Amino acid sequence: MSYPSEWTLRRLIAFLAALGVGVATYIAFEAAGGDAPQCIAGSTGCATVAKSSYSHVAGVNIAVFGIVGYVLLLASAFFATDLARFGGFVVALGGFGYSVFLTYIEIFKIEAICQWCVGSAVLMTILFALNATRLIGYAGAADSTRSQPGLRGAAG
Amino acid sequence: MSNKKERERRREEREQAEAAAGAGDRRKQLLQLAAGAVFLAVAVVLVLIVVNTSSSDGGDTELEGVAEVNQQLAGIPQREMVLGDPKAPVELVEFGDLQCPVCKGFSEEVLPPIIENQVKNGEVKLEFRNFTIIGEQSPPAGAAALAAGAQGRGWNYVELFYKNQGAENSGYADDAFLESIAKGAGVKNLAKWNKDRTKFLAEVEETTAEAPELGFNGTPSFAVKGPKSDGLEAIGTPSSTGALEEAIEEAS
Repeated sequence: MSYPSEWTLRRLIAFLAALGVGVATYIAFEAAGGDAPQCIAGSTGCATVAKSSYSHVAGVNIAVFGIVGYVLLLASAFFATDLARFGGFVVALGGFGYSVFLTYIEIFKIEAICQWCVGSAVLMTILFALNATRLIGYAGAADSTRSQPGLRGAAG
Repeated sequence: MSNKKERERRREEREQAEAAAGAGDRRKQLLQLAAGAVFLAVAVVLVLIVVNTSSSDGGDTELEGVAEVNQQLAGIPQREMVLGDPKAPVELVEFGDLQCPVCKGFSEEVLPPIIENQVKNGEVKLEFRNFTIIGEQSPPAGAAALAAGAQGRGWNYVELFYKNQGAENSGYADDAFLESIAKGAGVKNLAKWNKDRTKFLAEVEETTAEAPELGFNGTPSFAVKGPKSDGLEAIGTPSSTGALEEAIEEAS
């Protein structure tokens, strides 16, 4: 089975993780200012979700955990080592699992949908798929951090 | 010399083979670890979902703001749906619907300074009357608050309900929800509360009929009665705490 090149996977992961940092930072900033993220089309779902007891774990807004997760994923895309491959996979797995739980809570418990949270869940899902592909395809491969196209000359 | 070259070539081959085998082992190990992590993650998510599903049956465990409400109302006398010193010269009446999101906004933003100052220092007593206009779950919710009021926890019930209010007419305010609010509000005799709340439906109807007579057509609407007012005077829906304070000032 052929996999996309690791370099392509890493670029995609970096791009989506950067988007994720943006989304999670927006939610965290709005929450810190006492507001709820603005939902598109005037929906009140975001306010309902942001004010629910599920929006915090141990007093910390879960968006803060989101920022940390996305930053780690972004960092993992910069290295082509087994540590980065496995670390990225584990972080994406955790983020994806928690997103599944939160989406369940939104639908069945809070009964409100926050579009920003759904956006983050979609990003995490794609990131999990990319990181899983990367690990399965390239675990055990040599460290090729410096052999990406842009740096090939420098590495060679 | 050729022997030396041959030895070097063999060593290189051996090292390459060892490196390949090492990489293969490492790959196997990593994938095994990853599979373990996936199983662990699935188990954790399932446990989280199960725990959170069962906690909804437990009632008051997931209520928000219980401590906040208790703190806000601590030490203020309550009798039926009246909060504050029964002898307070001015009576401020809120006509509200527990399902109404604007009422929730008033309870969280406009009324707290009034409760903290005028009610606590005995100038004003605050009464909640039901004006149930949102939907079919509004009258039972209102009656549940009155039943809590019969045990001196009426305002705890109202405030806690607002703190945990769901989307209008989404069906959240069912019997289980009303009971969890009662528990959270500190209603001691739940059996009595349960019996009373049917009885109080009639009073909810009465006050709901009274509101339009004062000219109200939305919630929350306020009315004030004081030494300088002409009976119960309609204020309407004030835009701010300041507007309510002005109305109180004029009536006292």
